[in-house]
Amino acid sequence: MVCQTVVESLVENPIEAECAGRPVLELESDGFAELYQAHSREIFYLTLRLLGETHKAEDATHDVFLKAYKKWGGFRGDSSARAWLYRIAINHCSNLRQSWHSRNLVTGAEEAIWENATAKSDSPLRVLETKELGQRIQKTLDALSDEYRLLLLLVADEELSYDEIAALVGQTTDAVRGKLHRARKAFAAHFEKTV
Amino acid sequence: MKQQTKLSQKQETVAEHQTQSNPAREFANSDELLRFDAAQTTVPPEIAQRLQKSAANIPAAPRPWWKTLFGG
Repeated sequence: MVCQTVVESLVENPIEAECAGRPVLELESDGFAELYQAHSREIFYLTLRLLGETHKAEDATHDVFLKAYKKWGGFRGDSSARAWLYRIAINHCSNLRQSWHSRNLVTGAEEAIWENATAKSDSPLRVLETKELGQRIQKTLDALSDEYRLLLLLVADEELSYDEIAALVGQTTDAVRGKLHRARKAFAAHFEKTV
Repeated sequence: MKQQTKLSQKQETVAEHQTQSNPAREFANSDELLRFDAAQTTVPPEIAQRLQKSAANIPAAPRPWWKTLFGG
């Protein structure tokens, strides 16, 4: 109700429209505006860290939700809406990266070196300056394989279960747990080098 | 030279200020770090406006019969 009032008062300037820190959207499709308000942050964050640039993430988030809007009427709820949106976003980003002929500079051998590096997955990550933290995180994620990057981003979302993550990456839950251990270790080793 | 020293002093002051305003933090692991990063990220409001315009050109998907019949 509060959101609705805000929407009405901002009809003339919808760019500024925002309710409780979330962008406001008014669409005819039942419940879709609520879906956007509830999940736009995690989808934007995922696309931002997968694609590495804000303007690409903006385009991707728009495209992901537009695809979702077209399919919304047929969404049967077999998975959570959150996992469903993640699926669309992962496929979208994967297609984009393939079409850009993105180069993955980390080979399997290099990754093994990082995994055997001194950093341990249970070592705390110290950050002296949070101002450029986003850049450091991006640099670290870019240095990891696509698989590790995606796993770390998905597991960081506490609302997703391991089963949902396993389904999203097409692997067993045990395989996900094992790879996550190595991914965290590789992240910590890379992150230390970005200081 | 003097100008360089002044500039350097100014930079130090700025750096000091930034350090004070952004105290050091420690994260238990990458999950916690990424959660913090995600929480700091705001969704540009322009996306909602673009989406609204794009969606306006697309007819909303028809409500499936089972939803019409059983609700939901």
